[in-house]
Amino acid sequence: MADTVTFRLNDKNVTVPKGWTVMQAAKQEKVDIPHFCWHPGLSVAGVCRFCMVHVQGARKLEIACNLQATEGMVVRTDTPEVKEAHKWGLEFHLINHPLDCPVCDQAGECGLQDFYMEVGKYPSQMTRPKVLKPKAVDLGPRLILDTERCILCSRCVRFEEEVTKTNALGIFDRGDRAIIGTYGEEKIAHNYQENLVDICPVGAFTSKKFRFKQRVWFLQEKSTICPGCSTGCKIQVHARTDRRTYYRVKPQTDEAVNGFWMCDKGRDTITHLNRESRLPQAQMMIEGKKQTVPVPQALNSLQRAIAAAGAQHTALLVSAHYTVEEYQAFFDYFCTQLGVKTIYQWRGDKEDRDAFDGILWRGDENPNTAGLLASLSQIQGRKVEARNELVACVAQDPKVLIALCPEVPFTSTWFQGDLAKLEGISHVSLWTCRYEATEAAGITSWIPMKGFAEKTGHFLNYQGAKRELEEAFPSAAASALSVVEAVQQLALPQPSVTL
Amino acid sequence: MAIIRVPRPPRDTNVFAAAWGYTTTICTGLTLTLTIFFRQLLKREKSETVEWPEQPATYGERFKGKHFLTKREDGQVRCTACFLCATACPAQCIHIEAGQHPSNEIEKFPVRFEIDILRCVFCGYCEEACPVDAIRLGPEYAIVDTSEKKWVYTKDYLADRPALQGGIHSIKPENEKHTSIGHEPTAGERKSQAHHGHS
Repeated sequence: MADTVTFRLNDKNVTVPKGWTVMQAAKQEKVDIPHFCWHPGLSVAGVCRFCMVHVQGARKLEIACNLQATEGMVVRTDTPEVKEAHKWGLEFHLINHPLDCPVCDQAGECGLQDFYMEVGKYPSQMTRPKVLKPKAVDLGPRLILDTERCILCSRCVRFEEEVTKTNALGIFDRGDRAIIGTYGEEKIAHNYQENLVDICPVGAFTSKKFRFKQRVWFLQEKSTICPGCSTGCKIQVHARTDRRTYYRVKPQTDEAVNGFWMCDKGRDTITHLNRESRLPQAQMMIEGKKQTVPVPQALNSLQRAIAAAGAQHTALLVSAHYTVEEYQAFFDYFCTQLGVKTIYQWRGDKEDRDAFDGILWRGDENPNTAGLLASLSQIQGRKVEARNELVACVAQDPKVLIALCPEVPFTSTWFQGDLAKLEGISHVSLWTCRYEATEAAGITSWIPMKGFAEKTGHFLNYQGAKRELEEAFPSAAASALSVVEAVQQLALPQPSVTL
Repeated sequence: MAIIRVPRPPRDTNVFAAAWGYTTTICTGLTLTLTIFFRQLLKREKSETVEWPEQPATYGERFKGKHFLTKREDGQVRCTACFLCATACPAQCIHIEAGQHPSNEIEKFPVRFEIDILRCVFCGYCEEACPVDAIRLGPEYAIVDTSEKKWVYTKDYLADRPALQGGIHSIKPENEKHTSIGHEPTAGERKSQAHHGHS
């Protein structure tokens, strides 16, 4: 038992690894210790003086974040002295806080608000006017800084120092005039800016993209996996289902893959899911005119086209943006059941697929490359990677092509260009969630697909680790299907009367 | 489940005795009504009835009628788009779209502020929730319109309709962001204020 220590935390014996702090132990035991400056992903600063706990035998209260648990220690988090310390600590933080909660985006998820309701609830005793500081400072393409709201917890400074190693932020001036800022007119430019917004316990850092868009208490959250690259960060998508609008993405803690962070590119992976950029209904070219049709009609026409051309003249064009379960259902139906032998992988022309920025982002911007390859390895047939060979694919003259289109627009910039190369095939069925795809010529039908936040399943990330898309929102496009649902509809016996 | 038999109370056979209570009360009420009716008919007493809509009838300012948005000193709407009214609204009839104001002093303001008056239940929660006295319910009660579109009151209508005669100013100070909220004057300040004759 040399490498663990057992101590008493609020009448309960707690055993934790040696070297853990009381704060870490309390987190594990789900004992709440209010804190601002401590963050599990950053070093200990001990500046907010808020996580006070009572230790038997100590002359005064100790801060839990910097207090190593030792054998036989007796810690209490609920004595009257501790509560008194929280109250005064909070009042100290609020001395120069502007209390502009009505216009602050953090309201609703703010540490100051939460702890005021939990441990505060006192009338302010401040009689002096507040210190005024710069407000709404533009600090980068995605950041706005309000130095008045800042409580100088230094989380952001430590993030810049330890995670991105860019050291762009610092605390300037002293005393009640101390402010967070960059050196001179410098702006923060790295790809991890919005993590500063996440870790800021108050509303000092706000996101330009989310600023004033919505109050946080209206948002619903679902955990899923980021489709932006092959790292597969665990994320939480925030949306309003009543408006069918997605508002923001936040990282979720996953020590194995993304820790506590995610990149800014991943934050943009929801914009294409919103109603205005979605393909709402199935469309078909009928006698040279594009028409909106019910999904079963579009699927029926695809089925008839396959039956007429035969499986040997049918090809699949598959991007790596779908879940393992969807590939399974897709290949089960088309390859095993119908006997299609030609499969093109559609993963773009990017050359730097092995790129890695040292933190999270990877060059392979397809979320499920490993999953696609794993599913492909289980089936027989000609599996070509369609880089510049899309033209060759047309030259091979498949009569029917079913294309599972890439989902996230900014990671698949090659998509529109590739669509143009498909002209000449007699029946092309695009399975996509993007409205822009309907502008392409030479396509026969468009089947509306669900986005990543609207389905459950798994991605396999670059290591081949299973990443679970846990929860799903109802689809923002009314008649969108997941690939599994579309294949189920295709596999149904054909109705005798055509719709 | 068991059935418990409870004896009925004996039925009152005297109908007149049973109805006596009602009859007297009705007569008392009718007497009062008729007395007032004749007194007003003979102009002995002032009648509260007005021939609306020919004669105007006004309610007090505290009446919860048509909403309006108050203004700042410079004529812009006072609303800071905090969404508290929309949050409190039980009918969910307030739709706000917030935006960045060109002036950093104001920061957040409503680009769109709409009330779907057909959904509104005139509970006044929006008025109560507002931290800056930006929305109030006024004494206008006659709400008549023809098309459905006109029942959605826009920001301009709520702040600037003719009945408001150029708009009403908010009672909350505009620079609340930059002074200490709940600032109690110190003993010294209080003394000097009393000396200068304004408290």
